[in-house]
Amino acid sequence: MSTRGALWLLTFALVLAGPTAAAGQNKGGTLRGAFASDPPTLDPAQATDTTSSAIIRQMFDTLVELDETLKPVPALADRWTVSKDQKIYTFMLRPGVRFHHGRELRASDVKFSFERGAKGKRPWVFEKIVGAKEFLRGQAAEIRGIRVVDDRTVEITLERSFAPFLYLMAYDAASIVPREEAARRGAEFASHPVGTGPFRLGSWRRDDQVVLEAFREHFRGAPYLDRIVFRVIPAEITRFNEYKTGHLDYTDIPTGHCRAVQRDPVLKYEVAIWPILGTQAMRFNVERPPFNDRRIRQAIGHAIEPQAIVGGLLEGCVVAGKGILPPAMPGFNPSMAGPVFDPDHARRLLAEAGFPGGKGLGPLVFSYNTGDLNQRIAEVLQAQLKGIGITLELRRLDWAAHIKLVDEGGAGFFRQGWIADYPDPENFLTVLFHSRNVGAAGNTSRYRNPALDRLLDEADQMAPGPARFKRYQEAEQIVLNDAVISLYHYTSRALIKPYVKGLERSPLSSAPEFLAPLRKVWLDR
Amino acid sequence: MTLAELAEPVAKRLLALIPVLFGISLLVFVLNAVALGDPARAMLGQRGDPEVIAQIRQDYALDRPLWIQYATWMGRLLRGNLGHSYHQQRPVSEVLGERFPATLRLALAATLIAVTLGLAIGIAAALAPGGALDHVLMGAAVVGISTPVFWLGLMLSLLFAVWLGWLPVSGYGDGSLANLVLPALTLGALHTGTIARMTRSSLLEVIRQDYIQAARAKGLAEVTVIGKHALKNSLIPVVTVIGIGLADLLVGAPLTETVFAWPGLGRMLVAAVGQRDLPVVMGAVLVFAVVYVLGSLLVDLAYLVIDPRIRRE
Repeated sequence: MSTRGALWLLTFALVLAGPTAAAGQNKGGTLRGAFASDPPTLDPAQATDTTSSAIIRQMFDTLVELDETLKPVPALADRWTVSKDQKIYTFMLRPGVRFHHGRELRASDVKFSFERGAKGKRPWVFEKIVGAKEFLRGQAAEIRGIRVVDDRTVEITLERSFAPFLYLMAYDAASIVPREEAARRGAEFASHPVGTGPFRLGSWRRDDQVVLEAFREHFRGAPYLDRIVFRVIPAEITRFNEYKTGHLDYTDIPTGHCRAVQRDPVLKYEVAIWPILGTQAMRFNVERPPFNDRRIRQAIGHAIEPQAIVGGLLEGCVVAGKGILPPAMPGFNPSMAGPVFDPDHARRLLAEAGFPGGKGLGPLVFSYNTGDLNQRIAEVLQAQLKGIGITLELRRLDWAAHIKLVDEGGAGFFRQGWIADYPDPENFLTVLFHSRNVGAAGNTSRYRNPALDRLLDEADQMAPGPARFKRYQEAEQIVLNDAVISLYHYTSRALIKPYVKGLERSPLSSAPEFLAPLRKVWLDR
Repeated sequence: MTLAELAEPVAKRLLALIPVLFGISLLVFVLNAVALGDPARAMLGQRGDPEVIAQIRQDYALDRPLWIQYATWMGRLLRGNLGHSYHQQRPVSEVLGERFPATLRLALAATLIAVTLGLAIGIAAALAPGGALDHVLMGAAVVGISTPVFWLGLMLSLLFAVWLGWLPVSGYGDGSLANLVLPALTLGALHTGTIARMTRSSLLEVIRQDYIQAARAKGLAEVTVIGKHALKNSLIPVVTVIGIGLADLLVGAPLTETVFAWPGLGRMLVAAVGQRDLPVVMGAVLVFAVVYVLGSLLVDLAYLVIDPRIRRE
């Protein structure tokens, strides 16, 4: 079956399934969650953090959305077609969708929103569309690859086929906003957002709480909940205490409490741990001596035992890393093998590189950003590398300083995790290791390998399916052999009260923010 | 002393504020310039599109020479404009104005607790110097001063909110007193200890003065001797501690605000430094400087009220 056919079938099946039946699901009530920080903005074009995204996803809709199994399903578009060459996507909008201020959604809002988004903080979501680059450079007044066919149809043409494009259309940066409200409010749209989503902004007390109210005219019908209160609680232990005293309905598990809550007679029934699309990694700047010598990088890889960190510091609540792609990522290969713990081999590699027993290598600097866990991981690495004669100097900086240092190639050996924006290997491997992304765009290893670039370019354009994944797996193995140490794959560790029903645990949703659609949540009490 | 006589020293102090503010703003600006980190990059999370970084730098004039950036900021300030937050994209005055009421409430409540308890403990200890009560009270004061705020906050929260359930764990709530108690107690503990120790030592010094002995020899009741003659004269250093303490609390208490999720200025400033949100940092530091200078001015004015000798000078 062609991809187009498969998508039609999927769309059809989901339309038949329709919205979840309301029988037995209570209406009303307030869901109480918490974030670690205040959202800087509620404008989809300006957001870059998960806190903002978690709220934006409740107030805005996208053309398609991803279900719990990460499959694209209809949202504002009730169906779509994809051309045979995978370059033209035609989205048919649902009739009767209304924005919070009452006006009906039109196809021109989609074009406006995407052009506005392209000029925002995440232009990469739209850069594959024909004419986007010219538009961004100010050489064109519009993105010519976005065509309003009629009031309910939008056609988007890509420069070249890009298998994960539907995922981009489900990303919160591609949320649809009403032209007149966005234009009228300007920068203030960030504090007065108007979307089509199942909830609308009730109130926002900065650094304290954000309240969302049900939007009863939502195209799927009113959500079950009347209201959502997101409190801003920076200390994880305070969030935990608020949960224990019954003032939060869900929260994250504080660092170091994972085993304790699983042993607690009450809390153990409320624990939810699931894999997400993220990997904690140690990276090298391969341009910077001595890490420009592959043998040094490999020696470090063989001297590190991730299990000591996974089983000890993280209490077994994460998944030890072997490959770069996390287990929840489509295309994950369980037999992928990075460097295994083998100190003898590490010593041999060091000697081959001209530093027997680490002599002459001098202290190596390991850079990481502030955070209790990062500090403790760095100390474990320091102890493990001492075992092969490498002295590690620890350099801790705050996030802003660390990311600048890493982006500009100032760090030789550093911590840098990655959480995928969408569930496709392209968002890990191409972003992080293609030579065109060297620096702030993602490839902070400054890894340049023409053979890898070719593999990734091919895979990015291939039609979805096993052959494409196989290409990415080949690329992943090249990188693992060469440039990066995968320490562990992230999980989301949450506590959820038993009466909270319908809270999705998708690999894209992580506590405490929960990017899950809260319109599906209902309270059974 | 008449109001007219007061006007001159007050005006002098306010005029002295101008070079202080200029110096502080220059210092903060230079410190920020030499610190590693770029606000444009920090704004973009894990993936920083180089073209977007360049655009943000241009939008906020971060690509211009440092002295021009400073002159632009200063020019705006002279027109009463603190600028726009990079991170929140709204006026700095709005950002600060939202947090100030919460900070003021917390600072006043913590000061009230600290002054009441601190004076009581200090007087009780001074009345029986070297005795068991003195040792216990001064020991408690040292514990109050040296206990880490974060730890004390967590313990109070565990006891009164989690185990006993008497008070909320955290948050500003609807502005009710219940939400204020634990953060104010936590923050007040540190200053209680300082005020108690200062009151004790200052009172002891006064008690040993000849005029106190004379008052006692005249047969005055001990309550009158201490309350009317000794305490008032021992208050000068205590008032200094209270004044500086209040100013200290007004510029925020990031740890207490973090433990109790209190939406105050301290937490906001720490976050702004992390985000390299220079306009917010500069605006906040200026406000803090004004608070400190005004705080010490109020302390000086309080001296005039308390001590007639200073008035005569």
